[in-house]
Amino acid sequence: MLAINIINGLVYGALLAIVASGLALIYGLRRVVNFAHGSLYMLGAYIGYTVAIHAGFWAALLVAPLAMFLIGVLLDRYGLRLLRDYDPLSVILVTFGLLLIVEDLVQTLWGKGNLSLSEPGLLSHSLDVAGMTLPAYRIAVVAVGILVAIGLTFWLQKTRMGLFVRASSTDPATTAMQGVDTDRLGAFVVGLGTALAGFAGIVTAPFLSLSPTMGSNVLIDSFMVVVIGGLGSLSGAFLAALVLGQVQMLGATYLPEISASIPFILMIAILIWRPAGIAGNRT
Amino acid sequence: MSTPFRPGRLALATMGCIALTVAIGQAVSSETALSILTQAAIFALFATGVGVLLKQNGMVSFGHAAFFGLSAYCAAICLQETQWPAELVILVSLAATTIFAFLLALVIVRVPGIAFAMLTLAFGQLFYQLALKSRSLTGGADGISVAWPDTLFGIPTSTLLDNGIIFTISGVLLVLTLALLVCLHHSRFGQTTEAIRDNPERATFIGIRPTLPRALVFTLSAAITATAGILAAFNSGFISPDSLHWSISGTVLMMVVVGGYWNVTGPALGAAIYIVAKDLIGDLSTHWLSLFGVLLIVIVVFTDNGLSGALRTLAARARPTSAPRHP
Repeated sequence: MLAINIINGLVYGALLAIVASGLALIYGLRRVVNFAHGSLYMLGAYIGYTVAIHAGFWAALLVAPLAMFLIGVLLDRYGLRLLRDYDPLSVILVTFGLLLIVEDLVQTLWGKGNLSLSEPGLLSHSLDVAGMTLPAYRIAVVAVGILVAIGLTFWLQKTRMGLFVRASSTDPATTAMQGVDTDRLGAFVVGLGTALAGFAGIVTAPFLSLSPTMGSNVLIDSFMVVVIGGLGSLSGAFLAALVLGQVQMLGATYLPEISASIPFILMIAILIWRPAGIAGNRT
Repeated sequence: MSTPFRPGRLALATMGCIALTVAIGQAVSSETALSILTQAAIFALFATGVGVLLKQNGMVSFGHAAFFGLSAYCAAICLQETQWPAELVILVSLAATTIFAFLLALVIVRVPGIAFAMLTLAFGQLFYQLALKSRSLTGGADGISVAWPDTLFGIPTSTLLDNGIIFTISGVLLVLTLALLVCLHHSRFGQTTEAIRDNPERATFIGIRPTLPRALVFTLSAAITATAGILAAFNSGFISPDSLHWSISGTVLMMVVVGGYWNVTGPALGAAIYIVAKDLIGDLSTHWLSLFGVLLIVIVVFTDNGLSGALRTLAARARPTSAPRHP
């Protein structure tokens, strides 16, 4: 029982890690708290749903993130880049406006009801691991979460582009002076962050049903991950996602009355103790 | 720059607005129109609370719905669990919410910028969860009814709940709050908080400790919002966790910015426009959420200070300038 809860916590933690890493990337480079991130996750899930019905789950797994990448690039080019000189509140409110538009779009195109998608045939069986019967799909989700974490860390730490992203996150003006095309970099990073949201959306679709409210819940949870981990810090976000996944799942089983409050109390404590988050050194 | 303070003018304008509110309450006969106007006045008060925090402190709250709901829940629970007279319950609910907000403010106003907004979001959602989960006390997701007695302040409750009367009460409270805020803006305290808002470091250098003034503005802002919460609980006789959700705080923040928070009356204007337009457009189209999203983005990007700022600019342009300025 405990082991199954821990694994469910890992599954949720992996999902949160994927969504929140997108949020952290966008915050790191553009200094934007993106309130539309949850609705972009939802849009990715719904786009994936439609593709999956016509061309199968694996096609959806490819198309949804690509479509969201494109949307993210457009969002940066015709949104965030133009808003660089606005105060943070204005930009937050623009993303809030975007949230309203995307939610309405999803309700209009796909309706208000719940939709569900079945697991791909390859992963629909169960696995026996150490005496427990676990759905293969959930194990795959955890594996995907780990791969995303490793991949992003490798990209940021070891590649030339990752170096530019880190430099631009610290000081965009100086980075631009060194000859880095920060506009293209920004578009790519916001695209990647949005693609990660969409990817998490389609990965979630087979085990959480799709509804127009799915974005709002994930938004708050991934805010908590990003804030607890330290705004803009990827490694902090991965750690926080892992912790939050466990807190949510174990709490729901053993402390159902207060489980939903624990993450908020944790977030409040950390923000008061260290406003920049566990791994953050920026104020 | 700000205009000089003219108390006589303010008193005159306040009395004029109160007279107008009473006249509207008497003249409008449509029950639907009055109930929408009441809704608009209550949310205008709510938005004014959120707006003063932004204007005087430069702080964004994504959690004010907590105060809106807290005072209403407090009233509902007191009326249900105790034998206190309802007049006392109203005072206790407002006082409890205000004191709580003050204690909370002493801790959280030290946190700067975006982290503060996230902190208010977390507190707001914490209260939402508490209201949702404490079923024995709050009725959980179903909410609870607020059982007002038959008479309140010596007047039969049914009379007070007449659409024209409740609108007049809400409207007059709104006008008085706005007048109070205009006085605050011109007071020494108002100037102090604005100095802290613009540059906390320099304000500290000239001997102002930032925490207490900031906390007091936060408390005032929460008290105004709590008053709106009590009015809403009186008007609808019902409170549910939905009123505490962060999306309510977000929507009200949207009203504040659409109206323009640099003017004292801006947030109220934004709220009134939102509520009335939602009703008018809601009949025509189901896409009013998108429309507001687009409107919000357009206003944030293209105006300096929301609709009230845009109106002021237009008025200034329309007025013939007495002395054309040359550089």
